[in-house]
Amino acid sequence: MSAEQGVVIAAQGINKIFNPGSDEEVIALQDINLSVESGEFISLIGPSGCGKSTLMRLVGDLLQPTSGDLLVNGKSAREARLDRDYGMVFQAATLYDWRSVTKNVQLPLEVMGYAKEERRKRAQAMLEMVELGAFAGHYPWQLSGGMQQRVSIARALVFDPSILLMDEPFGALDEFTRERMNLELLRIWEQTGKTIIFVTHSISEAVFLSGRIVVMSPRPGRITKIVSNDLPYPRDFKTRSDPAYHALVAEVRELLRDAVGSGPPGAMHAP
Amino acid sequence: MTEAFAIPLPPATWAQRFRQPLLLGLTLVAVGLVLGLLAQYNSSGFEDAIQVESTLGRLAIWMAEQSENEPEDIRSPLAQYADNWATEIGAEALDPAILFNSIGNLGSAYFALIALILLAALAACALRPLAARNMYFAALLLLDLLLFLIPTLEGSNELARLLLAILAVLAALALSPGKIGRVIGFFLALSVLMVGWEASKSFADSVNYKLLLPQASWTYERSPSLEQALLALEAGEVDAVVADRKDLDDLMPPHPPQEKAKENLQFVNLRYMKTLDRAQGWAFLPIAPAFPGRLSLAVRAQDAEPLSAVRAIIDSDIAAVEGDFADVKFLGLPRNLVLLDLKILNDLNLPHLQMIAEAFLQPARRNGEFLLLRILSDAGVYTFSEALFGFIFGAVLGFVLGSLFAHSRLLERGLLPYVVASQTVPILAIAPMVVIWLGASQLSVAVIAAYLTFFPVTINTLRGLGSPAPAQIELMRSYAASRWTIMWKLRFPAALPYIFTALKVSATASVVGAIIGELPSGIGEGLGRAILDFSSDYSMISTPKLWASIVMAAAVGILFFVAVNLAERFILRGRVRPLD
Repeated sequence: MSAEQGVVIAAQGINKIFNPGSDEEVIALQDINLSVESGEFISLIGPSGCGKSTLMRLVGDLLQPTSGDLLVNGKSAREARLDRDYGMVFQAATLYDWRSVTKNVQLPLEVMGYAKEERRKRAQAMLEMVELGAFAGHYPWQLSGGMQQRVSIARALVFDPSILLMDEPFGALDEFTRERMNLELLRIWEQTGKTIIFVTHSISEAVFLSGRIVVMSPRPGRITKIVSNDLPYPRDFKTRSDPAYHALVAEVRELLRDAVGSGPPGAMHAP
Repeated sequence: MTEAFAIPLPPATWAQRFRQPLLLGLTLVAVGLVLGLLAQYNSSGFEDAIQVESTLGRLAIWMAEQSENEPEDIRSPLAQYADNWATEIGAEALDPAILFNSIGNLGSAYFALIALILLAALAACALRPLAARNMYFAALLLLDLLLFLIPTLEGSNELARLLLAILAVLAALALSPGKIGRVIGFFLALSVLMVGWEASKSFADSVNYKLLLPQASWTYERSPSLEQALLALEAGEVDAVVADRKDLDDLMPPHPPQEKAKENLQFVNLRYMKTLDRAQGWAFLPIAPAFPGRLSLAVRAQDAEPLSAVRAIIDSDIAAVEGDFADVKFLGLPRNLVLLDLKILNDLNLPHLQMIAEAFLQPARRNGEFLLLRILSDAGVYTFSEALFGFIFGAVLGFVLGSLFAHSRLLERGLLPYVVASQTVPILAIAPMVVIWLGASQLSVAVIAAYLTFFPVTINTLRGLGSPAPAQIELMRSYAASRWTIMWKLRFPAALPYIFTALKVSATASVVGAIIGELPSGIGEGLGRAILDFSSDYSMISTPKLWASIVMAAAVGILFFVAVNLAERFILRGRVRPLD
């Protein structure tokens, strides 16, 4: 596949099978076709076990597909990882508790061999972007959950990767903090123009944030439908009362209900 | 109160209501006891035992004796000090009276200081309650120190007064308002321990080291001679005769019968018990006095089986020869069930704290030129250097092994069982072999210490290096970090708390390893040899010296532990410390 202008991630016919050939064989993903444009904010949503995290890990080369083609910025996922094209944010902030906030943000730069002064400057700029400039000298355990997650976003962006992979980043936060973080994330996205792949359990979060919502279903994991969300950016708290927003939430919920269908009760998390 | 609004206070609890009067009472009791001690001390001269037999008094006598030596023979700094003093006042040798005079003044000032601090604490209770705790604490420390100085004399009550004063201050300290910190908590427990030590010794002394339950005494007939007693036995007037085994052996056959029977025995119808079941008493509690081994029982031949145990004759009619060993030293004595044997608390087994302190401040051998304190300190430093070397060696080995195991599943599966097995072999068995392989040197002692220390470090390094969450490793991989970078930026820092936990265990274990290692190496300069020497002198009433070496060994271990702990606090500063 050629690197089309603007296409960042191109996945064709991706299959992922865990423990192939053994009794515990699991088909995690089946025939995934997805193409992500540069600067796009795209959400992966689906019930537990639908393979949304697996798909994100395949893109980030933390896992390798069993078959299929996956190109990132026109390279293989592995080359993209070695070129440091990915910033990653996980559900847990995974900050190192022995490093101060600024040292945590500088960690990727240290690994990549940046000079000390450059590291300090970039980390400070990133911390200011996530509005934690005053907390550079604090230790992670002195911050709240939301603040820790903002530090981890700063850490993911500090080396200027082209793609941001976020695996349920706000899943552990309370509702208020989560809504604030959503607005914050949109602001950062608009400011930096990164391509963001966002895995979530929350329908409202997916609809509020993304331009396209990839709805997935389990056993085997596959894409049910890709819903386009044309609500204009910048979005703010008023967006949540827009009837179009509610219509989209209802549509995604309906799709997910069909997706869960035969699955056991409780497989779907409440939005 | 000038506030406009009076906020109603919750009803006072029991502790709040009685704290103030209780503190007042306890402090006054303590002050009274301390003043009593001061008066007693002031009224004593330097010939009195309370001064001469005190720790400092003994030290003064030794210093005076040392100052009699020629200046070039004096090697201890304290003896040098005494000699200089003697020269200054133009004397050949220092008169102990001069030293006693100084000690006397010092002592009076010391007691007065304690009393003043306690009175200040009393004032603080009323004015600044939070300051009282520190004053009580200071008084407690000063009183505790006296436990190591005041001699325990027959028929005198200084120790009892001191213990009561300490208890009063302890109670006041516990009652006074405020938070109990680490240091106060430690000394609180230590004081309770020391008071318990001395109090249990006093109690054991007062009951003669046994808790007894009186039993019915032996009832028996006293015969004028053994022959008459045995005739009475033959005639059926008594059922058993208690007498010396040797005497009975000449007169009758034994039970059970012997193959080579003696001939021409006088009493062929009687039997004496060759094997006698001497147990008496209740369950595992013995009766004192026990049936002596030199005695035996004589019974009629037909009764030999039923009467072959001491228990069986308690209610029978028995006889013994008047004035014989059996009469005077056994049957005539009161019988008691021994509920608790307290000989572990006697002065030989558990010396007074003052005796241990005195041992530190006396020469190790009679007329020795150095105090035991100096000798044990030198030994402690020597052993510490071995332990330190072994600790470093073991820590490095442990870290290398742990890192290898963390990176290679094959090595872990293959070698870890041997590492575990190595720790099941007793160090006492390994130590002599190491000495044979490496020679009797500090090196082999360090290797033995390392043998004890590498294991916890290996296990905890392995665990610590594996402790980062998978997401943290994935994060590092997303930065395209190499294995080496992941090791140094993530795994190693994450393992540090685990490693330090192991190092703290290893620090104390390395001292134990060094002491044990010194024994087969025949190294004479360390604590191991000192402990061995003083424990072989056990029968010669030198247990205070043995206790002194134990205290020194413990001090070396604790110092090492504290050093590692401080290093941990410095290196892991800024990290979460959930326990603080």
